[in-house]
Amino acid sequence: MRPGAMFTVFRKELIDILRDRRTLIFMLVIPTVAIPVLMWITTELMTHFIEKLAREQVDILVLNPQTAPDLVEEIKQRANPMGRALKVAELLKQKGLSEKELAMTKGEPQAFLRMLEKKGVDPEELAKDLRVAVEDSDFELDPGAIIQNAFPPNFNLVTGLDPPLSDYSEQSLLEAVRKDRIAAAIEFAEDAREKLASGDSTEIRVYYLDASDRSSTALSGLRRIFKSLDKEMVAKRLVEKELPPGFASPVKVRPKRLPGPGILVKILSQILPYMILIFAFLGAMYPAIDLGAGEKERGTLETLLVAPVSRLSIVLGKFGVILVAALVSAVLATVSLAASLQLGVFSTLSLVSGGSFSFSVTEALAALLMIVPISCIFAALLLALSIFAKSFKEGQSYASPLQMVIIMPAFISFVPGVKLDWIMASIPVVNVSLALKEIFTGNLDQHWAHVGVIFLSTSVFAGLLLWFATWWFQREQVLFRS
Amino acid sequence: MTAGSQVLVSSSGLTKVFSARKRGGVRAVDEVSFEAHAGEIFGLLGVNGAGKTTTLRLLATMLKPTTGEASVCGHSISKEPQAVRRNIGFMSTATSLYGRLSAREMVTYFGRLNGMSAEAIDKRAGELFNLFSMNEFLDRRCDKLSSGMKQKVSIVRTVLHDPRVMIFDEPTAGLDVLTSRTIIEFVKDCRARGKCVLFSTHIMEEVEKLCDRVGVIHDGKLLACETVEALKARAPSGRVEDAFVSLVGEPT
Repeated sequence: MRPGAMFTVFRKELIDILRDRRTLIFMLVIPTVAIPVLMWITTELMTHFIEKLAREQVDILVLNPQTAPDLVEEIKQRANPMGRALKVAELLKQKGLSEKELAMTKGEPQAFLRMLEKKGVDPEELAKDLRVAVEDSDFELDPGAIIQNAFPPNFNLVTGLDPPLSDYSEQSLLEAVRKDRIAAAIEFAEDAREKLASGDSTEIRVYYLDASDRSSTALSGLRRIFKSLDKEMVAKRLVEKELPPGFASPVKVRPKRLPGPGILVKILSQILPYMILIFAFLGAMYPAIDLGAGEKERGTLETLLVAPVSRLSIVLGKFGVILVAALVSAVLATVSLAASLQLGVFSTLSLVSGGSFSFSVTEALAALLMIVPISCIFAALLLALSIFAKSFKEGQSYASPLQMVIIMPAFISFVPGVKLDWIMASIPVVNVSLALKEIFTGNLDQHWAHVGVIFLSTSVFAGLLLWFATWWFQREQVLFRS
Repeated sequence: MTAGSQVLVSSSGLTKVFSARKRGGVRAVDEVSFEAHAGEIFGLLGVNGAGKTTTLRLLATMLKPTTGEASVCGHSISKEPQAVRRNIGFMSTATSLYGRLSAREMVTYFGRLNGMSAEAIDKRAGELFNLFSMNEFLDRRCDKLSSGMKQKVSIVRTVLHDPRVMIFDEPTAGLDVLTSRTIIEFVKDCRARGKCVLFSTHIMEEVEKLCDRVGVIHDGKLLACETVEALKARAPSGRVEDAFVSLVGEPT
């Protein structure tokens, strides 16, 4: 074998696939452009519809309003965005804060403050403005409270339907919810008034349907209303009894996040290993099919085989190009996804994520140690399959099931709680996916041994497969299959 | 007529058995022995599936013989396949061009694969491009060329490294008259330049027009190996076709 010949083949095949639109799209365009755009569209669409659902006015049927007229009034007051709520919403809009973004902070004060900082809003000033808007000098700058005030659920409390329901059995309520006549129904206990008057508690039953989005959204809206009602009533009772405000809630939970990897790191360390493996495979797939089966189909294989170069040079040259395609595609996907998050393409995610996603040179090198040998495996496998196939189509039909075999184990990075241990480290593809997850989470220091062993075992496996591919390529039965 | 001129291709007992699962082994080439010399066109005549392509693929070292041996320019096809390939130019309807490369890139690529230096490629390719008046389409992609232009590129690809033995496997199959003519002229030209030409075909006329000697191959066996005149003389009509049929027998 002449190394020069191998390089000649490599260079020509590289030029060849770079002139193929199909390969270019899979290797360069999809990883860089399509993935961020696709993810952006899905997250934006989802939040858009969730928001729309939350804003929609729905009917809530009160089954026995006469039992507790005061409670009905209290609920009604909290059930529509009116008065001060509208003022708060207007104020937030002026400051450039949306409900969606507020909701993303999950009521966590630190995330909320970070978001304000990103938006360039001064927290002190916002608090002052809010206090004026809600006419409450004690109003605290708490994202939960702001959402409650600015975006109350939008309910229309009705005491009867037209035409009326035949009865209030669960069956007829179910029909009413399924036909979207009501979103939910509430029923007070018969002794509600007496119980509340005597300082006791009463039960309010909410009928809802799990399978209906509108109905379960209504339930969570009702929960919010009852929670704030409950809080106010407790406060009133405490004042009457002259007890301190903390009397009814002696213990309060306040989560304090440690300055470690944030939620962005967590999300990325789940997505990236999967994406890297998929894109390494997809990036290699079309060049592989093109350089093997495609060559047979176009009738250029014989032209190449009569040239005075060894078959080994040909295989290695082709293999090199496929490997490069796999790596380029995987690295592009990683960079483009990480960059889109960083630059805030996924606004909802990046605003609250806090802490940026970055990795050190060591981590990047460790990741490459994982990616390169597994890409070699993909390249060797795909080349072997491709050279066996008689046509491009046949090659694709072999590669597709193989793709499934890769996707399933790669998905392990999404499964919560799976740790990289010696058992996991011995399962191909799974081990690389988990090792990448640990590297991206910043746990490389604890997993050097695993990373080393995975690198070695994957490399040995890749070497064997490459040896197989070269042997396979020298077989007449494979090259001249008819 | 070729006595005394150098033997460049020699095959003795060349046999290729393909293992077919259903019927056991298929003897595609069965004990084929012949010699071909510098400055002659040796025709392999046979019907489709007779074993012509397999014989030529064995000589071009694309396939390995099951038994028997052959040599090209003194190099054994089984022991020195690369040296054999360096000495042959192989052309068939199955040797297509890379559609995404330009004509020039295609030729340069094969020059490099043949181990030629960049200067040698430039010099030799330049001469051939002029000879075949190809200069206007050199930088066009091969898949955008007409079939005539493609044939020219193929020819240049085949002779770029100046091989001593040329192998043509049914080179005119499926081509129009004009393109076929280009190839036939080229084959004659190769003989004129003293190359040893192996030429397979199932077209009797081509044998009459071109070949000096001819081997009639049927079911993998070489039934006759003689001059075209000797072949013709086998039939009372003096026609190649009748002689061929009398050799291989009427289809049953």
